Amino acid sequence: MDFWFSYIALASIYVLLGLSTNLLVGIAGIFSVSQAAVFGVGAYIVAFFLMNDTMSFLPALAIAALCCVGLNILVTLPALRVSGDYFVVTSFGIQLLATAVFTNWTDGTGGANGLPGIPPPDLAGKALESSGEVVTLCVAGMGLGCLIFWLVMRAPFGRLLRAIREDELAVAAAGKSVLRAKVSAAALAGAFAGTAGGLYATFLSFIDPSSFDLDSSILLLTMVVVGGARTLAGSILGPFLLLALPQILTLVDIPTTVAAAARQLIYGVLLIAFMLFRPQGLAGEKL
Amino acid sequence: MLALQLLCNGIVTGCALGIVAVSFSLVYATTKIFHVAHAGVYTMSGYVAWSLLRHGFPAPIAFVGAIAAATALGALIQALLYARLEKRRATHLVVLIASLGTLAVIQNILAAVYTANILRFELPWGTRVFLLGGNVRLTMTQILTVLLNVAAYGGVMWFSHGTILGKQIRAVASNPFLAEIVRLQPRRVHIYVMAIASALVCLPGILVPLDFGLQPYNGVTPLLTATIAMIAGGVGSITGAFVLAIVITELQNMSLLFIPGEWSIGVTFFIFVIFMLFRPTGLFAAAR
Amino acid sequence: MTAYLQASGVDVSFGGLKALNDCGFTVQQGKITCLVGPNGAGKTTIFNVITGFLRPGAGSVSFKGQTLDGWKPQAIVAAGIARTFQNLRLFVDLTAVDNVLASMPAQTGEEPVAAIFRPFHVASAQRRRREEALAILNRVGLIERANDFTRNLSYGEQKLLTIARVLATGAELILLDEPASGLSAGALDGVMALLRRLQDDGKTLLVVEHNTRVVQQIADDVLFLHQGHLMAQGTPEAIVNDPALAEIYFGGTI
Repeated sequence: MDFWFSYIALASIYVLLGLSTNLLVGIAGIFSVSQAAVFGVGAYIVAFFLMNDTMSFLPALAIAALCCVGLNILVTLPALRVSGDYFVVTSFGIQLLATAVFTNWTDGTGGANGLPGIPPPDLAGKALESSGEVVTLCVAGMGLGCLIFWLVMRAPFGRLLRAIREDELAVAAAGKSVLRAKVSAAALAGAFAGTAGGLYATFLSFIDPSSFDLDSSILLLTMVVVGGARTLAGSILGPFLLLALPQILTLVDIPTTVAAAARQLIYGVLLIAFMLFRPQGLAGEKL
Repeated sequence: MLALQLLCNGIVTGCALGIVAVSFSLVYATTKIFHVAHAGVYTMSGYVAWSLLRHGFPAPIAFVGAIAAATALGALIQALLYARLEKRRATHLVVLIASLGTLAVIQNILAAVYTANILRFELPWGTRVFLLGGNVRLTMTQILTVLLNVAAYGGVMWFSHGTILGKQIRAVASNPFLAEIVRLQPRRVHIYVMAIASALVCLPGILVPLDFGLQPYNGVTPLLTATIAMIAGGVGSITGAFVLAIVITELQNMSLLFIPGEWSIGVTFFIFVIFMLFRPTGLFAAAR
Repeated sequence: MTAYLQASGVDVSFGGLKALNDCGFTVQQGKITCLVGPNGAGKTTIFNVITGFLRPGAGSVSFKGQTLDGWKPQAIVAAGIARTFQNLRLFVDLTAVDNVLASMPAQTGEEPVAAIFRPFHVASAQRRRREEALAILNRVGLIERANDFTRNLSYGEQKLLTIARVLATGAELILLDEPASGLSAGALDGVMALLRRLQDDGKTLLVVEHNTRVVQQIADDVLFLHQGHLMAQGTPEAIVNDPALAEIYFGGTI
């Protein structure tokens, strides 16, 4: 039972990340390898507030989400104003810089050893101790995220983003700001990623830099690519499938020294294969 | 004194990164593809050389073998992946993701085969130390790095302006549509460019690990610095990319006098942000 | 009296090629002005300059007395000028009515905050906008196809949709880039009738057109452009019947 709880909670958290990555990469068309960095920022912020007993879970989560919104705006606005390729460099830079900060700022983030002992979340004064309660919280978070994504995509904003994916020039010719729409999408993506980070920190009660590095960003991309770009279904399917992968791999006899590289290798192969043969993923629209 | 040593080290690494920047710039300016898998080719060439040396081959053979492997890999990536995607009119985003996937595949195959630990070359003549002016120590490897990479830069300049293929590449780079009409066959030129760029990046791909050791995931940071150098120098300018790579590495090195080494990526990124905000087209952008 | 739309001394160069050379003209309010000239004369380039997508090397454009120099495309659309594209550039995976809705200015819900926190308000505002969009589609004669995907429309219908899109912006000065090209005779008549209806609605039209029949039938004024410069201006009869201009147009000196 504990295994299933763990799987569902993690999958729910990664669905939020999937929605975030889908908004940024799938819908706004911005190639980003820094989603894990934003995820990490959210996690470390919530961990900080909870461990120092400064405030309860929901306010901490809100602050983390807001910080990540700001971070994404700060990162995308100047770069996108120049070009998409500029943002690729920015994204790599942000991810590598974030990993450096997470690993070396020992005072703030616990350094390479991470932060153990993060308290469980508390709602309205009551701490959620049992795993069942925490899983419910994560699933609720996922549900809320899906609702927000659905609302946003069926609003004029969703239509504007779809139009931008088709023809930016025509959108600009109609008098709309393409830059503002893309940065708004990035901001919303930041909120999702930050929230996922907060849930992750409190669910695992231990975080370290290795969950938020470039390899993790690649995993997030793979989830969206496999599940399917630009759709709600794809954002849910991808994480559930790819989180099952390590379990499936344990059935195959791979020495542990090679296990991590094997996983990442599979993600790389999936990325190439889907781009070549099925760019719309399993349940998505064409990238 | 330390500053002078850092200065010289900066030139050494800068020259190596300069060729990474020049080779990346060749691909980007011609094919418009942001070829992140280039970091994988860079990393792989070091490992191939190391393996060949391990198996008893003399250094020159190992060197040539690595170049052959890198060239083949680069050409394959272009022919089997990028060309196919281009034929399907894949979006820029799709190609980027495919390139990233290729990088992940290359890096992790290397990690699986060679483990993620640092591997060192064992070349006794490489560690011979020379003293410059009594205060600066330079190993044979470092001196070779400067000489060979600068020579490579010269070679690329001569090739680009002096040879027919070089001129064709520049023509395709500036106007692929027109090149198609003039029967320059951009597809074939793209393969040549990828092959040449991969062969080029082999040089720093071997020389840098000679100094610092081999690690499967160590290609991304040099690539990032190289792309920043390319942008700061102005896309399309070979000299710009090479010179800016040296400048950025120098600034990074000199910053070690003030801040710990783990934060050097911050210095590089800071330089990038400055350019992005104030001079996004770089210093010597090629006239269109 | 200040001209409605005025261009003066506009220079545009691409590398060594001079696309517009000391180009100047005026467009009068409420008229249908046709822009004619051989290929490469600079007609689409002028559109790009007027709508702010291209900065001229020299010269300026002014609209209702206000100079548009350095204005961003968004601001120019907001000021009342919008254009169509020769190669349509429609959003093919969206329905016809969505194409129109996507071009309407300033809607609530076009950014995430309102979409998330005021969904009912956004939904009711959208219902009103949808009525307006359907009215526009009705005006251009596309109401039957409102909910069809644009990729499924015929070429003639797609051209009408480009006009619907530009009407959606609310612009009073409409730049049409070859609205009649590639159309059958019947569809062509439909477009010409539509253009006259738009004029009756109070719109000013600047139309790039190659078809001399169309020019003669709808134009109040004709601008003849050659090698980036205004060669002649006058009534359709004067321009179309001028032998010197005809020679240039049909391949005399290019």
